[in-house]
Amino acid sequence: MSSVKLTNVTKRFGALEVIRGVDIEIGGGEFCVFVGPSGCGKSTLLRLIAGLEEISSGTIEIGGRRVNDVDPSHRGTAMVFQTYALYPHMTVERNMGFGLLMNGMPKVEVKSRVDKAARILQIEKLLGRKPRQLSGGQRQRVAIGRAIVRDPDVFLFDEPLSNLDAELRVATRLEIAKLHHQLAGSTMIYVTHDQVEAMTLADKIVVLRDGSVEQVGAPMELYESPANQFVAGFLGSPKMNFVRLEGGITPDGRKLALSGDQAVRAATLGIRADALEAAAPGEGALAGEVSVVERLGDSDFVHFRTSWGQELVARFPNGSGARVGAALDFAITGQTHFFDAEGLALSGITLDPAQTAGATV
Amino acid sequence: MTDATHFRAPRREGFFTPRRRRFLTSVVLAVICAIWVYPMVWMIAASFKPNSELFRNPGLIPIHPTFGNYVRAWTEAHIQRYFFNTLFVAVGSVIITTTSAALMGYVLGRRPMPGKWLLMGLMVFTVFIPQGYTIIPVFELLSRLGLGQSLWGLMLATCGQSIVVFTLLFAGYFTQVPNELDEASRMDGVGPVKTFLFVMLPLAKPIIVTVVVLQSLQAWNDFLLPLVITLANPALRTLSVGIYSFKGENFVDWGGMTSASTIAIVPIILLFLFLQRYFIDGLAGAVKG
Ligand SMILES: Nc1ncnc2c1ncn2[C@@H]1O[C@H](COP(=O)(O)OP(=O)(O)OP(=O)(O)O)[C@@H](O)[C@H]1O
Ligand SMILES: [Mg+2]
Repeated sequence: MSSVKLTNVTKRFGALEVIRGVDIEIGGGEFCVFVGPSGCGKSTLLRLIAGLEEISSGTIEIGGRRVNDVDPSHRGTAMVFQTYALYPHMTVERNMGFGLLMNGMPKVEVKSRVDKAARILQIEKLLGRKPRQLSGGQRQRVAIGRAIVRDPDVFLFDEPLSNLDAELRVATRLEIAKLHHQLAGSTMIYVTHDQVEAMTLADKIVVLRDGSVEQVGAPMELYESPANQFVAGFLGSPKMNFVRLEGGITPDGRKLALSGDQAVRAATLGIRADALEAAAPGEGALAGEVSVVERLGDSDFVHFRTSWGQELVARFPNGSGARVGAALDFAITGQTHFFDAEGLALSGITLDPAQTAGATV
Repeated sequence: MTDATHFRAPRREGFFTPRRRRFLTSVVLAVICAIWVYPMVWMIAASFKPNSELFRNPGLIPIHPTFGNYVRAWTEAHIQRYFFNTLFVAVGSVIITTTSAALMGYVLGRRPMPGKWLLMGLMVFTVFIPQGYTIIPVFELLSRLGLGQSLWGLMLATCGQSIVVFTLLFAGYFTQVPNELDEASRMDGVGPVKTFLFVMLPLAKPIIVTVVVLQSLQAWNDFLLPLVITLANPALRTLSVGIYSFKGENFVDWGGMTSASTIAIVPIILLFLFLQRYFIDGLAGAVKG
C-alpha cells in the first residue's frame, strides 16, 4: 500500500507553465482519477509521477519516500500508455516479461509471473502472438499485463480506454474496476477526460483545469456539491443546466423564492436535468419550447429552448409524451446549486418551489 | 440474357479474358527480361567455353564445355586471392558501416543534441561531392595512417563511401519510432544500451538489411578506390580490379575474364536472394509495427 503525495508541484516547458502548483494526496490502495478537459495537463501530471518528466518545483512522494530524483524504474510505479506502447517485434509473453528479464530475474520466475498476469487478464491463449495479431482490446490487456508483472505499488493509466470502441470501453472499464479489487492494495491513478469513467471507477476524483486542481473528492461528493461552476458542468451527463440570475430573477423575469444568507450573491442557478419536472402552463420556474426529445428507453431527455435563447435539458420519465415544438413549463423539484459571479459555489441557499409560481413580476 | 449482362460484358472482353491478359503480360515481361539478362547469360555461357570456341560459336550452349577457365582464373590469375580480399573488405566494411550508421542514426534521430541540424547539413553536403575529387586526399590520409598499403586501409576507405546516406536512412527511421517505446522500456528499468539493442535495432531490421545489401554491393563492385589503393600492390587487388587486369596489352583472356566475373557475381546474387524480401521492404519504407 503506497500513498502518493504531491506538494506544490509545478511543471514548465520553457516559458509555458503547464502544471501550476498542484497539491494532491492519494491514499494507499485508492483508485484516483484525474479528469479534465483536453490539454489541462492530466498526462503531464501522470508523467511527472512516473518520472518520465522532471518536475520544475515541488515534491512528489510515493509511499512516504521523496522521489523527485529517483529513476522511473525505481519509483515502484508501472504505466499503461494510451497507445499501449507494446514492443511490436516481441510476442505477448516477451512483451510482458521483457523488463524483468533485462533486469536479471530468473526465467522461471518471469514465466510464472507472466502466466499469473495472463490468467488474471484471460490472455493465456495469446501469449505466443505478436501485438499486430491482436485486437485493440487484447493489446490493452497485454499492456496492463506488462504493468502487472512488475508488481508495482502504483499503477498509472493514461486514457487506457480511449482507443477502444464504445462497447469494449464499457466492458474494459468494468475489468479495470475488478482488477483494482483483485490487486487489493495497489494504488491506481487513472487519467481520462471522460467524466463517466471518472464517476464509475474512482474512489477519489481530481478535477483539473489549466494545470490547476479545481476540486478533489469522492465522486458523489463532487457530483452533489461541486465547488464551482466548472466542476458542476464537467461531471454528470447530461451537463448541468446553468441559468443566469439577477436578484433571484431569471432572464425572462420569473422570480425565484430564494432564502439563505448568501442568496443575494447568487449569479447563476445550476440544476441537473433530473431536477426538473413538467409544470402547469405559467407555473414553472423555467419555460421553453421543446427542440429535441431523446428517448433512452427508461427516460426521455427533453431539450428545450428558453425565450432568451438558451438550450436547457430536462429528464422526464419514460413516455412523457413531450413533443418537439410544444411550449412547456418546468418546475424545479430536485437539488439546486448556486454560484456567485466568479463561479464559486454558494452554500446554504434554498429554493422554495411552492412559492416559485411562474408568473412574471 | 438481359441487356444488363451485355452491358457488363462488352464484346471486346471476349478475347481478352483475364487469363489471356495475364498470359500476354507474362510473355511481354519474359521477352523484356530475356533481353535484360542476356549479357549476363552470355557471360556465364562464355565462361564454360574454351577460348578457341568463344567467337566461333555464337550460340549460348558450349560445344566443348570446360571448367578450364575457372581453374585457370582461380589459381593462375589469382582470382582466389582477389576473392578473399574482396570478401575481407566487404564483410569488414559492412560490419563497420552498419554498426556506426545505426548508432549515429539513433542519436541523430532520437536524441536532442545541440548543433544537430548543422551536423546533418554538413553530412548531406558531403553526399554531393563526387568520389573522384576525394580519392587522392583519402589515399593520402590512409598513407599517413600507415594504412595506404593494406586491406585494412581499403576496408576503412570503402566504409566512407555511403555511410552518410546510411546514417540518414537510420535517423529517418528512428525518428518515426514512437517515444512511448523508449518510455515503456525506461519504466521497465531497461537501460539505454539494452533498449537500443533489444528494442530499437530489431525494429530497424529492414533498414539494417538495406544497409547490408547496399554496402556489400558497394564494396564488392567498387572499382576506382581499390584501383588507386592497390596500384602499387597487386596482391591487394579486389575482384573488380583483378578482372580488369585480364585485359592484357595484346591479348584478352575472355574465358578467364568471364569465369572470374561469374565467380564475382555469384555471392551478390546469393545475398540478394536471401535478403530480397527485407531489402524491398526497407527501400519501400513499408514497415509496419
Ligand atoms: N513536451 C512538451 N513540450 C511543451 N509543451 C507540452 C509538452 N507536453 C505537453 N505540453 C503542453 O502541456 C499542456 C498539457 O498537456 P497534456 O498532454 O498533459 O494534456 P492532457 O490533459 O493530457 O490532454 P489530453 O486529454 O488531450 O490528453 C498542453 O497545453 C500541451 O501543449
Ligand atoms: Mg493526455
